[in-house]
Formats: sequence, C-alpha cells, structure tokens
Amino acid sequence: MRTSLWQRLLPFLTLIALFIGLIIATPNFFTSTNLSSVVRQTAVINIMALGMTMVIITGGIDLSVGSILALAGCLGTMTMTSGFPVLAGIAVGVLTGCLAGLLNGALTTRLRINPFIVTLGTLLIIRGFALILTNGMPVQNVPKEFSFLGEGSVAGVPFVLLLLLIIAGAVHVILEHTKLGRYAFAIGSNPDAAFYAGIPVRFHTTVIYGLCGLLTGLAGMIESSRLMTGQPTAGQGYELPAIAAVVIGGGSLRGGEGGVVGTLIGAFIMGLLSNGCDLLGIQPFVQQATIGAVIILAVSVDELRKRKMV
Amino acid sequence: MLLELDGIQKRFGGVTALRKGALRVQAGEVHLLMGENGAGKSTLMKIVAGMQSADEGRLLWRGQPVNFRSPRDAAEAGISMVHQESLLAPHLTVAENIFLGRETARYGFVPRQKLLREARELIEQYGFPLRAEAQVRELSPAGKQMVEICRAIRHGSSLLIFDEPTSSLSEAETREVFRIVAQLKARGVGVIYITHRLEELRTIGDHVTVLRDGETVHTSPLADLSMDQLIRHMVGREVSAVYQRERIARGPVRLSVQGLSRPPLLKNLSLEVHAGEILGIGGLIGAGRTELCRAIFGIDAISSGTIAVDGVTRQLRSPREAVAAGLAYITEDRQRTGLALGLPIGQNITLASLHRVSQYGVLNQSAERALETRFLERLRVKAAGPRQLAGRLSGGNQQKVAIAKWLAREAGVFLFDEPTRGIDVGAKAEVFALMEDLARQGAAILMVSSELPELISVADRILVMKQGQFTGELPAGCTQEEIMHLAAFKESVH
Repeated sequence: MRTSLWQRLLPFLTLIALFIGLIIATPNFFTSTNLSSVVRQTAVINIMALGMTMVIITGGIDLSVGSILALAGCLGTMTMTSGFPVLAGIAVGVLTGCLAGLLNGALTTRLRINPFIVTLGTLLIIRGFALILTNGMPVQNVPKEFSFLGEGSVAGVPFVLLLLLIIAGAVHVILEHTKLGRYAFAIGSNPDAAFYAGIPVRFHTTVIYGLCGLLTGLAGMIESSRLMTGQPTAGQGYELPAIAAVVIGGGSLRGGEGGVVGTLIGAFIMGLLSNGCDLLGIQPFVQQATIGAVIILAVSVDELRKRKMV
Repeated sequence: MLLELDGIQKRFGGVTALRKGALRVQAGEVHLLMGENGAGKSTLMKIVAGMQSADEGRLLWRGQPVNFRSPRDAAEAGISMVHQESLLAPHLTVAENIFLGRETARYGFVPRQKLLREARELIEQYGFPLRAEAQVRELSPAGKQMVEICRAIRHGSSLLIFDEPTSSLSEAETREVFRIVAQLKARGVGVIYITHRLEELRTIGDHVTVLRDGETVHTSPLADLSMDQLIRHMVGREVSAVYQRERIARGPVRLSVQGLSRPPLLKNLSLEVHAGEILGIGGLIGAGRTELCRAIFGIDAISSGTIAVDGVTRQLRSPREAVAAGLAYITEDRQRTGLALGLPIGQNITLASLHRVSQYGVLNQSAERALETRFLERLRVKAAGPRQLAGRLSGGNQQKVAIAKWLAREAGVFLFDEPTRGIDVGAKAEVFALMEDLARQGAAILMVSSELPELISVADRILVMKQGQFTGELPAGCTQEEIMHLAAFKESVH
C-alpha cells in the first residue's frame, strides 16, 4: 500500500506489453528453455536489487555490491575447495556479504559520510581485497554439487526462481510488516524527524546495509555456481542495473519510496529487453542504449505523475 | 485600481483550493490578506504572481485583462513576490542574489563592479541593514528576508506580495520590515501582505480582505473592523482571541533541570515543571529557548548540570534516551524535524510507539490501525483517512499529527516549541485545549512561545530567557510589557 495503484500498474503494464510483444515478434521467446534462461540470467541482479531496494528506501545507496558479490563468491568457493561442505561454503559467502554490508552501514552512520562516497571507497577496497586474496586468479575445482544453486531445477522450475520468490516475500514482509521496515521508510522520508522521534537511526540504517550485503553475498554464490568458479573480477558494474531496477520500479533516490513488486518488475523489464534484443539479433551496443533510455523514461513518467498529484 | 481579481477558481485534482477568490488593490496601499491555513491565500497570490494559472475568473492589471504564464511574465508587468521560505543561493553574495537571473551581462560576462554598485544604491535608497558583498549564508533569517525584498523591488515593481514575512523574525526585525513596507507604500507601491499575526495588523495595514474556504468573505478598510470581527470572519465562528484556561492544582515535580550549561549559549539554567503545570518560556529570538529544549531532549550534549524526570536523574545523550525516559518534543519546525511528510498520517502517529503494536519486531496491523484511528479522532485531524500523506495536510492538522505521535507514545513530559507557529486561529485554540487536557491528566508541559498573549493566557507561570540565562519568573496574568522588560533589558540575575 506504499505506492498508489496507478504507480504500480504502469511498470507492470509495460512489462506485460513487452512480454506479449516478444511472443509475437520472436518464435523462440515463449519457450521453456528461453524463459528459464531469462530467469537464471536475471536472478543475480534481481536478488541484489531487492537488497538495494531497502538501502534506497532509507535514502542511501550501495555502489559496492558488485565487489561484495565477487569477494563473497571467492571466499565461498575457497571454503569449498579447502574441503568444507558446499553448504558451509555458501554460508561463508552469505556471511561475507553481510559483514561487508554492515561495514558500509557502520562507516556511513558513524563517520557521517555520504553513502555514495563510502561505498565508492569500499567498491575499490573490497575489489582489491578479492584480487589480493586470489592473486587475481579464479578459484577453480569447486565441487560439482555446487552447480545446483545456480543451474538446478525443482520439478522443472529453476531453483533460483524459487529462491528469488522466497527472498522477495521475505523482503516484502520486512518492509511492510516489521519495525525495521517502517523505520527504513521513516529514515528515508525524513531522517531528522526519525531521530527526533527517538528511533535508533544509525542502528537500523546499518542493519539495512547488512541485509543488502547479505543478499548480495547470496547473489555472489549464485553467480559462482553458474560460472563454477570464484571470479575475483565478477560483478563489475552490477551496481548500476541493480539501482536501475529499483528506480524503474518506482523507488526514489531521495528515499522513503520503493517496494519489492516494483523492483522485481524493473529488473524483469531490463531482463526481457536484453533477452529480446538478443533474440531479435539487435547489436549489444543498441541494447545498452535502449536500456538507458528506458531508465530515463520510467523515472520521468513517475516524476510527472507525482507532480500532478501535488 | 492596480489589481482586480474576481471569481477566481482553482482546483488541484479533486481538491478545490479557490472557489470565489476576489481582491482589489490600489497603488500606495498596504492590503492585508487574511484567513486560516488552507483558506486559499497562498494559491490566490501564486496566481497573481504567475506561479500558477487560474481555472476560471477575471484578473485585471491596471484595468487590462491579463494571464501571467510565469513569474517572469508577472515580474515584467511589475508584480513581485517575497517568499516565506528563502529562495536564495546561499553561497552567492547579497548583490549577486539581488540580481540573480537579471544580470546585465555583456557577451556573457557579468560586470561585477556594476552589479555591486547597483546593489549598494538599492540598499542605501531604502536603508536596508545589508552589505552588498556579504555572503547570503552568513545572514540571519531577517537578513535573508531583506535580500528577498531587495530582489522583489530591484526593478521598481508596482505591486509587492509578502507571504508571512515576519513569522520567523524577532520584534526588532519585524519593525525593520514594517519600516520598509511603509517606505514602499509612500513611494506609491501597492503591497499585499499575508499574515497570521493579528497583533501586527494595526500598525501596518490599510485594507483587509479575508478568505475562508477558498472564498473571499469580507473586504473593508482595516479601521472599520474590530479584532473580534476580524477573527469571526476568518473562522466563521466565535473564538476568543486569547485562550481561557482553567487552572489545575499542580502535582509533584516531573521535570527538574538543575544548573544546565552548554557553551557558548546556555548558562546555568534551572527549572522545575510539576504535573498538571504548563511552564511558559519567554524571550527574544536567539535567547536560547530552542537550544534549551534540544539540550533537555538529548540532542545537544550538555557540559554540566542534571536533568531528572519523575525524580530519577537521567543522562540523556540522545532523543532515544529522552523518549525512553518519558519526554516528548514538539519541535518548532514540524516540516523539517517533526513529520515524515512523504509517509501516511497513520505511520507518523505510530512512529514513536511501534513497540506498542509489534511483537518481536513484527507489526500487528490491526493494533496499529486502532492506535492511528484513536488519535486521529481524538485530535479531530481533518484528513481523508490514516493513509493520506502527512505532507498533504494543512499546517494546523500537521501540528496535530506531530502532537498525536507523542500522545500515542504516552509521554509524561512535553516540550512544546512554538506550538502555534504557522497555524490558524481555530487550530491554535484546539492545540491549547489539548495542552490543557494533557496537564489535567498529569503531564508536565514546557511551552516555548514568541507570542506573548499566548504565553500569558496559557502558561501557569513564565520564565523569561535572555542570552542563554533566565532573567526572571512571572505569574500567569502578567503583562506583555513585564515579559518584554525581562527579555530585552533586564541584566542577568546570576
């Protein structure tokens, strides 16, 4: 109920129109092979975008998610190659992401530095750390069972899709039905008012960054599972599509606005655009420009609507 | 006749802001525009200044029908507006701000010296207390207001609109604004002046027009109108200008502050507020009254002194600890520090009390809804419902929501900082009734106010502050002169 029905509907209609358009335009689009490949390709960005949604709602931003993804993937796979079970490796990856997120949150709130600057710094620090740790080489020889996380299916449904739905449900519950979520909106809407109301603003902001990191860590493990290596150079530039998904879905970089449904729609719009361009044989260069145009279009439509309501 | 407005209508979506706006302004007069918040004053003025266009109605400028499409159109015709909130570029100088957007550039280069000279001429002409080369961010609110006025008159406007220019100014600064308005009037400029402060009127206005619910309900020379009649026109019902309070027997001390200091301003402040008592804090702007509230509420660290709530000495290092101790702070700037304007009213009300409607961090929606509805009804907030955004409410209703937040929290000690700033007469009476009600239920209330009649009629006793120290205590029913004497002239008692 955060956003008006119309605001939710417009991106959704765009997604539907895109879907139908692709079914008509290309014979290969509406096949289970293609659709499951779209789901697998977008899952990583989707999960990161859900974490980013929470951060953006508090009025913050996390530019370091691409680097966190790489570090989590490397540490997680290294755990597996040193003989620990696959699940332990995944846990290490997720935990790494969470700690990196908490570090971002703590730096932002304790040093009172703009999160754009803090996470720009940690983007470089964490990436450097991943490269040092692996000596710049991919982590190889990971156990075969690990591929299930990114490539497995349950009853014909990609496992990552199930995972995505569970996480989306959980983030939705956090945002709409918990104190933490309510405080996130309040902090993003007016940090001073939240502080004056006696809310522990720094604590809750830090926890939100931690959750974003945690989801990014999981995304890192999924990425590693799909590549079957731990790549210290993975995830470069992933922060941009993650932020774009939130923004296309109605989130505001000024804080206080955003939601799970919108972000998922935003991520899928970008996923379908890129898949559609592939199928239609459109050059990757043109693809990039198209997605860029969609971001600006989506946000400007949203801004117009808000202005009309005032 | 300079300006004639008739039958002006303006709708925003489903909300009608103006139904029958009418106004006539002559050259060389000061025309007061009055009405409760949400009556349509600002909308009407925005239409005159070209910031919005009317849906229907007639707008005549010097007898000719006009339709201003932008503030620039209006400015070229000779109409300028002095805004309530400062719309200045803080890092530029006074001179640069005055001529911003109207620089006489030669091949894109701005001749600095010429700009400075012209600004100095303008400043001298009217005797503004400004330096043309000063940076605007270093100015006081009054100084910024002066720059706004310079900007409005830089091209010899023939009609100036002031939107509540003195709401954040001290007495002396207000007099300075009035002096300049009088000068403009003497030069034949028409002035429209929006204000809430009834006591300012007599000294400045010639004519008055009253808007109520988007309609012009009265217009006449100010001299023909008593204060009571004016209030009646504004609210459409009888309201006594000064609040009638019932005195309550006071209980034990709930808030005790001893020897509180915070350099450089606050020095050795001591006070006690009892259950059932409203303690007024008077003083001029800058005396340290808001700083005192901030220090008590744990926002600014104190260097010495103790604060005890209900007999227990507390170290309040953050609002969180103050709230946990039972304190509530209704700030003077509800838009900046009181409310999350982008969130629904209901969520603003429960913001400080989520622990009451949640378990293990999970919110119980029906319990939360019940809490929201209870206080919306109890405070008679005029809103579509708890889902309406707080930013869409009028000032008075926003203030009620800001207070409701602390009622829901069940706080026992309330710090009200300028509780009636920018709200209309009807809402003021309601806020006072609410404070009285709280006192009756055993709350201790500290009330900071610059409105002397309000302090005198609402507070049980008044402590007066000057330069960070208390200069004296006055009983209820003292005179405004007594307060002003302590606030402006009395040497500190310490």
